[in-house]
Amino acid sequence: MDVITFTLNGKEVVYDGSAADRLLEVLRDTYDMKSVKCGCKEGECGACAVLLDGLLVNSCCVAVGAVDGSKVMTVEGFRETPQFAVLSAAFADLSAVQCGFCIPGMVLAAQAVLSQNPHPTEDEVREGLSGNLCRCTGYNAIINAVLNASKEGEGLW
Amino acid sequence: MVNGYAPKTLQEALEIRAHEKVIPYAGGTDLMVQNPKNAIYLFLNKIDELKEIKDDGEYIRIGAGVTFTQAIASDLVPQLMKEAVSRIAAPAIRNAGTFGGNLGNSSDKADSVLVEFAMDGCVRLVSVNGERVIPVEEFFIKRRENNLRDDELIAEILLPKAKCSMPYYYKKVGGRNALAISRIAFAGTYLVKDGVIEDISAAVIGGAAKFQRFKDIEKMLIGKTVGELKANIDEYVKLYSEKYIFTRGRVSAEYRRTVCMNLTKDFLNTII
Repeated sequence: MDVITFTLNGKEVVYDGSAADRLLEVLRDTYDMKSVKCGCKEGECGACAVLLDGLLVNSCCVAVGAVDGSKVMTVEGFRETPQFAVLSAAFADLSAVQCGFCIPGMVLAAQAVLSQNPHPTEDEVREGLSGNLCRCTGYNAIINAVLNASKEGEGLW
Repeated sequence: MVNGYAPKTLQEALEIRAHEKVIPYAGGTDLMVQNPKNAIYLFLNKIDELKEIKDDGEYIRIGAGVTFTQAIASDLVPQLMKEAVSRIAAPAIRNAGTFGGNLGNSSDKADSVLVEFAMDGCVRLVSVNGERVIPVEEFFIKRRENNLRDDELIAEILLPKAKCSMPYYYKKVGGRNALAISRIAFAGTYLVKDGVIEDISAAVIGGAAKFQRFKDIEKMLIGKTVGELKANIDEYVKLYSEKYIFTRGRVSAEYRRTVCMNLTKDFLNTII
């Protein structure tokens, strides 16, 4: 590989470091995407989740060389969308955010659920968010926020 | 300094594999937990021919680059495999993790590999010098040890269609529902016709650094009537009990034995 080229939040970027570097660290350190959190570095917590070609992945478990030619979206890009506005309002309304560390991953996991299934059941939301750990909220507020967003954002997904 | 390889075709990948010291990278979900220093990866995730699921009449062929998410959505992948891989980790891991990676990584807790053991699955291995198809149970030696040669790549997993359509049994016991590594997992298929057991196979994940399947007991059961199994079920459970090996890991060997024997009996009761 000569260079690694990928689309980050709609803009093409060219990375010339090691192809083995973790996407998590490349996003945070090279591209200043600080919404992407480092929780466990072993795919167990979802704090570093991003959308890779529209699918939720844990960026700690992705080598940057694997995203050559792909589209990566973090909350820095997603927050410009109407879907984010609905999710953000729903999370705020239900106090679904406490410390906030897990929230970028949760919001992208919610987007992944709703983009595949605009009217999920509670069980489907729980399944979709099952890889994202939260130590503060006890999950129920987050699950309810996603269900509310599904109603409030009718037609967006 | 970019130091990896991202071939677009399998042939290109095999050339690199034959001539360079590279680590095959499929989904990255296990590999990147360690991410060994100075690793040079051969990225296989953009090779379309490794992402196909096909039915050749005799086998369901699952490309090494097929992700678990892709398999769950497929009409071709047997229900037993879907059930097992749908309980791997969580969506973000299933979106990236692949069949080739799960087998190549050779964890003795690999949930898709358990099903391959239970279903007489085979693996197609390819290199610039040709290919070979061998049973998964021959490919997998034990935890972290397999028969992949230095110039080979895993191309496909082959599941015999005869097994794919049989009734099945699957139970996974982990510490929680999501993001759970199997403490015990049990996969089995069976076929009963006119009250006679025509086929049966079962394999377990049990912490013995390998998958355990006992074909000699299966042979004893084939040809027996359901009534005979029912009358002697405790004897058959005992036969399994004498063969299983359990080791201590995250849970005790005793815990594993108790759970596994319960599942073995439950499986045999399902056939009755």
